[in-house]
Amino acid sequence: MNETRTLKKESGLPKFTQSLVLIVIIAVICVVTAIVNPRFLRIQNIINIFQQISILGIVASGVGMLLVAGQIDISVGTQVSFMGVLFAMIIQKMMGLPEKAVPEWQLAAAVPLAIFSTFLVGALMGLLNGIVVIKSKASSFIITLGFQVVYSGAALLLSGGASYMLFGEFELLGRGRIFGVIPIAILFFLGMIAIAFVVLKYTRYGRFLYAIGGNKKAAFVSGIKTDKITLIAFIVVGLSNALAAIILISRVGSALATTGDSYALDSLAAVIVGGVSLSGGKGTAFNVFLGVVLIGLISNALIIMNVNPYLRQVVLGAIIIIAVTVGQYTGDRS
Amino acid sequence: MAVINILETHGLTKTYPGVRALDSVDFDLAAGEVQALVGQNGAGKSTFIELIAGSLRPDSGKIVIDGTAYSWLDPPRAIELGILTVHQENQLVDELTVAENIFLYNLPATRIGFVDNRDCRRAADELLENLGIKIRSDRKLSHLSFIDKKLVSIAKACSRKAKILILDEPTASLDETGRKILFDIIRRNAARGLSVIYISHNLSEIFEVCNRVTVFKDGKKVGVHAACDMDVSLLVHQMIGRSSATLYNRDRSAAATENILEVRDFSREGVVDHVSFQVRKGEIFGLGGLVGAGRTELARMIFGMDPKDSGTLLYKGKDLTARTPDDAIRKGIGYLTEDRKGDGLVLGRPIFENISMARLAKEKAFLLKLEREQSETAEIAKKLDVKTPSIGQYVVNLSGGNQQKVVLAKWLFAGSEVLIFDEPTVGVDVGAKGEIYRMMDGLAKEGKAVIMISSDNPELAAVCDRVGVMRDRRLVTVLEGEQVTEENILRHSMGVGEGQRK
Repeated sequence: MNETRTLKKESGLPKFTQSLVLIVIIAVICVVTAIVNPRFLRIQNIINIFQQISILGIVASGVGMLLVAGQIDISVGTQVSFMGVLFAMIIQKMMGLPEKAVPEWQLAAAVPLAIFSTFLVGALMGLLNGIVVIKSKASSFIITLGFQVVYSGAALLLSGGASYMLFGEFELLGRGRIFGVIPIAILFFLGMIAIAFVVLKYTRYGRFLYAIGGNKKAAFVSGIKTDKITLIAFIVVGLSNALAAIILISRVGSALATTGDSYALDSLAAVIVGGVSLSGGKGTAFNVFLGVVLIGLISNALIIMNVNPYLRQVVLGAIIIIAVTVGQYTGDRS
Repeated sequence: MAVINILETHGLTKTYPGVRALDSVDFDLAAGEVQALVGQNGAGKSTFIELIAGSLRPDSGKIVIDGTAYSWLDPPRAIELGILTVHQENQLVDELTVAENIFLYNLPATRIGFVDNRDCRRAADELLENLGIKIRSDRKLSHLSFIDKKLVSIAKACSRKAKILILDEPTASLDETGRKILFDIIRRNAARGLSVIYISHNLSEIFEVCNRVTVFKDGKKVGVHAACDMDVSLLVHQMIGRSSATLYNRDRSAAATENILEVRDFSREGVVDHVSFQVRKGEIFGLGGLVGAGRTELARMIFGMDPKDSGTLLYKGKDLTARTPDDAIRKGIGYLTEDRKGDGLVLGRPIFENISMARLAKEKAFLLKLEREQSETAEIAKKLDVKTPSIGQYVVNLSGGNQQKVVLAKWLFAGSEVLIFDEPTVGVDVGAKGEIYRMMDGLAKEGKAVIMISSDNPELAAVCDRVGVMRDRRLVTVLEGEQVTEENILRHSMGVGEGQRK
């Protein structure tokens, strides 16, 4: 409102401060946890943490880019669940149960077909979310809340409440390690963060995401096809969820209708803690990365410190509330 | 016995950063008097009534109501004292009945807390009858005509024991019959002691219904007159006052007669009524008129933001008619919207991103050329003299004038040939205003088509070569040469033709 030239707190500060705050918090948690239980610092545990957050990180990369454009997708968790069931089901149906022999071509085609179908469905779910949000002009929070329930029901319908097993097939992606040390999943996580980084920083499309999230009307008046850009962001979320679902099922080895549900809350928490403004127009891939690490760290620290696992949800919810409240008081409202 | 003043103000002053919206106003309103407030856009009328109604607090001065002095009022207190405002837009609920609307602030209830419909209706009927308004109180509001809704608003105000009724543009969008009914009700209730403050841009109707007229100009009260001593011309004259020292003197010698832009038959039912005009090479073409006359709506149609029934835009013989903003930008149209912060800028992003936005939207490349973007946007920002330590600065931190320059830079960077400036100097300090005029002049001289919409008539008169005036959605005249004066623009805006006087 006021047109003073003085620098406003948040917006005027150099960009790295948000990252700095996160890094400090992460360091503090590490120190405290290490003091309580020195096992925390073992290299094996560190790698574990990263493996655990890989899938979350992939989901969060997509959600982060969407949130930069000022939209939210609550349905990511049940999207992952649905696609997980779909993926496992295709593989099980094609490869058959362990004792039954199936034709050679079927064995060969199973994995490519499952991967292709999952990505296709991911893109379609993103497309559907995006179209309804754009056409209804309603809040994406409410619309995707509805879709969350729809996809959850769809996952139950598809699975019939049963669990689909991979029987040891397709384990590499989720459980494999390069040189027997670095889990493959971590590479996908870092790859997705890198893609988000490049897109947000170096592409025209990324620039438009910021413009739309910052001021949709101004973006529209400047000739940016706001609907198209927003729609693509929703599809990207669907595609990253597909990737997450595939890696998740590969790691777990089986799929239930609820396997991925928790990623909705976790990814949102990670992205918001990472400082992507809820109203859009702000946030970087690096901060999303830090947010994901922080969420993963908190979960791991609670386990390492022998805290009741149910407390995790309480802590996670509290973190979201605190992060949003703090955001509101540091200039997000302008 | 002297006339009792129901309302007096002494030295009422309100200042906003950089603007003295109201400057030491002494005002008085007698019981049973209908007094008009007139003045140009921004003269201080709205600020004044908001202070009286308690929605704003004065910096200094007193408000005396019925003999009691207050240094400020808040809305509940103002209502308690009998000061009620009927706003231009109705603030009623369409889905409720007339009676429910009238008593919405305090619906009569039965003993157990349900709404007592019968009681409510009876009270409403009594009130309407008393006011001389013939509307059935059990009708749903959405079924009423425009005038009836207006009357319900007035009844609602009166139901709260109004002593001072503030009517803000009550006749806007009323036809002749509606006007007659409204005036009749006003006169009738004034005769019974109701005092009315009447704000209207329609000067002639003031003489029909008001006892006195108070004229505001630049936040000051410049006169109060018995309506019978005044006529429209005298009023207009006083609203303009002695021409304020010319803020800018444009060299008009270069204006040629060659048309470069033709706006042909832009129209949309109920919004803009068949507007056509031409812009000449090297000139600044002004669009004047009252707020709501359809100027911004016309600009939005030209820019493809709003749908239109008809309309063609020709620039140097090429058809630039645009369907969407995206299309308009590709064709070389730039629109500096009146709401700079609302749809002109992304405040939370850096200057260079704002400048390059429209150009990027036109391009096809996937990757950004960051270095080139930085150097080129810096260059144009420097050319337009945007005052900032760096182009990485967030736009929110710039002053109004510098923000406006960033918007202009955006359109120039996108290669716009046709530029529409909508209220470009609102919220811009005097120094930066001059710079913006010079820039517009420079662009016109370069051969771009420049249109400026402004509600600031002295500005239009000083800056533009020709001024088209819009009234009630139509372009009523295009003033040229010697005719381009503040007075003429105001007369045509209000429908008071020169002919009427001479």
